[in-house]
Amino acid sequence: MNLIREIWQSIVRRDPLSTDKGKSELVFLNVWLHIHPAKVKKENMKFRHSFYLGFITFFLFLILVTTGIALMCYYRPFPPQAYQDMKDLQFVVFMGPFLRNMHRWAAHGMVVCVFLHMCRVFYTGSYKKPRQFNWVIGVLLLLLTLGLSFTGYLLPWDQLAYWAITVGTNIGSYAPLIGGQLRELLLGGHSVGEAALVRFYVLHVAVLPSLMILLTIVHFWRVRKDGGLSRPVWKLKPATDPLVTIGAPAATAPLGAKAASATKTYGLMEVVTGKPIFETVTAEEEEDTVFSYPYAFVREAVTLMATVTTIMVMSLFLNAPLEELANPAKTPNPAKAPWYFLGLQELVSHSALLGGVVAPALMVLALIAIPYIDRNPSRRPGDRKWVLGLFTFFVVANIVLIVVGTFFRGPGWAMVPPWVHVVGGAE
Amino acid sequence: MNRRDFFKFSYGAVGVTALVSAVGVSLAAVIRFLMPNVFYEPPQSFKIGDSADFPFGPPTFMVDEKIFVFRDRDKGFAVASAVCTHLGCTVAYFSSDQKFHCPCHGSVFAADGSVQHGPAPRALEWFEVTQARDGQLRVDKDKTVPSSYRLMV
Repeated sequence: MNLIREIWQSIVRRDPLSTDKGKSELVFLNVWLHIHPAKVKKENMKFRHSFYLGFITFFLFLILVTTGIALMCYYRPFPPQAYQDMKDLQFVVFMGPFLRNMHRWAAHGMVVCVFLHMCRVFYTGSYKKPRQFNWVIGVLLLLLTLGLSFTGYLLPWDQLAYWAITVGTNIGSYAPLIGGQLRELLLGGHSVGEAALVRFYVLHVAVLPSLMILLTIVHFWRVRKDGGLSRPVWKLKPATDPLVTIGAPAATAPLGAKAASATKTYGLMEVVTGKPIFETVTAEEEEDTVFSYPYAFVREAVTLMATVTTIMVMSLFLNAPLEELANPAKTPNPAKAPWYFLGLQELVSHSALLGGVVAPALMVLALIAIPYIDRNPSRRPGDRKWVLGLFTFFVVANIVLIVVGTFFRGPGWAMVPPWVHVVGGAE
Repeated sequence: MNRRDFFKFSYGAVGVTALVSAVGVSLAAVIRFLMPNVFYEPPQSFKIGDSADFPFGPPTFMVDEKIFVFRDRDKGFAVASAVCTHLGCTVAYFSSDQKFHCPCHGSVFAADGSVQHGPAPRALEWFEVTQARDGQLRVDKDKTVPSSYRLMV
């Protein structure tokens, strides 16, 4: 019995969880949990503030990694086999359709949740100083999510995949000077074919997921280092203690800073961050906090289970589409890009260069630049009417374009309301 | 700048130059590596068959080559590309209005390939068609010709 206890103690190395010390040690002696603070502010756990969208996005990514690895066991990225493998997954492999559905719905869900998460961060003003750079990382993660979705879209090698990627990569080729070469580099040829499938596969299962994991780590790290989750604006307290510097602070110190007191002993982390290792100092702030174990961890676990359950239930009832084998000679009518690019395709149907290259490039640059352009320090909605209006306009415009592209475009990209049924279509 | 500073600066400059060129060369090599030396794609120049194989009237659509072969009793042969100049979808020829229609974004091209409607930026391409020595028609997609080009056989 003693041996068992000793083995257990050698693994966890912490005091019992009934003690405050044990609850803290659970967090910071554990490599996976120590991204959390030992104690969290109660307001940060309010569902209404963040809707846990960042967590949900991350959990969807975990679903995608696990189901993706499973699917890889049955998938060969070469033209006719790729489609046969999809048919196998659909009709022969045990639980094949279920895993494929989970992968598909989690991918769509991730695009939605990343977008909603971005909106939440914008509306709460959480990209403001000192979190500007983490917003930029977030925009890059959004682009990676879209890139992963787009590269994954080709892999089934059906009509849907083939034409969505043909249209999508042709949009890119309108970029001035380098567009054509960029497309050739991506496709490894002049049209979507064998070489393109292998390249998209490599991007989808190796390059982009690695980048995603790297940037996610930075994103989480910065959430902690930039002062934890942003708190609801109505709970904001006056600025906490300034940074402590050894010697007089430089005139150009980026944040408030004061020289270390000669009569006090500091730990190194206090000099570096201006605070002790717990992110709570004052007595009244201490009252607003609880231990991460169990309060934060239970909420995360429930969110994880809710996310997985939702995706599983969806996968039971909704099947991922699989059309006939890719046929380069026959363009389906209408040929549509993945839904989250349909706003783009709608713009492209008016002008390929303006709608497909200039507008999205400006949009991405503007997104990245937001925290550096918006220098208003206030996070209160009343002080930010103008930016909130502008952002809302772009969000609504995007959604309207996607809805129009998805539901209102029929054969020949003509305006056809969804309640009108086109028989046969134009051939 | 004294001698010590000069040497410090020189070492630094040499180091930075070496690093930048190493990264630059490696990056260029990777990009070049990704540009295939050989494309395993169908040849751009190919034979499409005997002239007698093609009917007069509406053009013959050749699926794999993505071309329309026109044959006119008086003027002869002409070959048009079936790839829309907008985003690469395959256009269809409607005998009813004698126009090319693109299913993706609704571009419409007249019988001579010129844009009549929609977002397509350029007219459909016309390819050179010649008669090979064995009598078959040969199309070369690398050689574009004006829409007035005809081969009389």
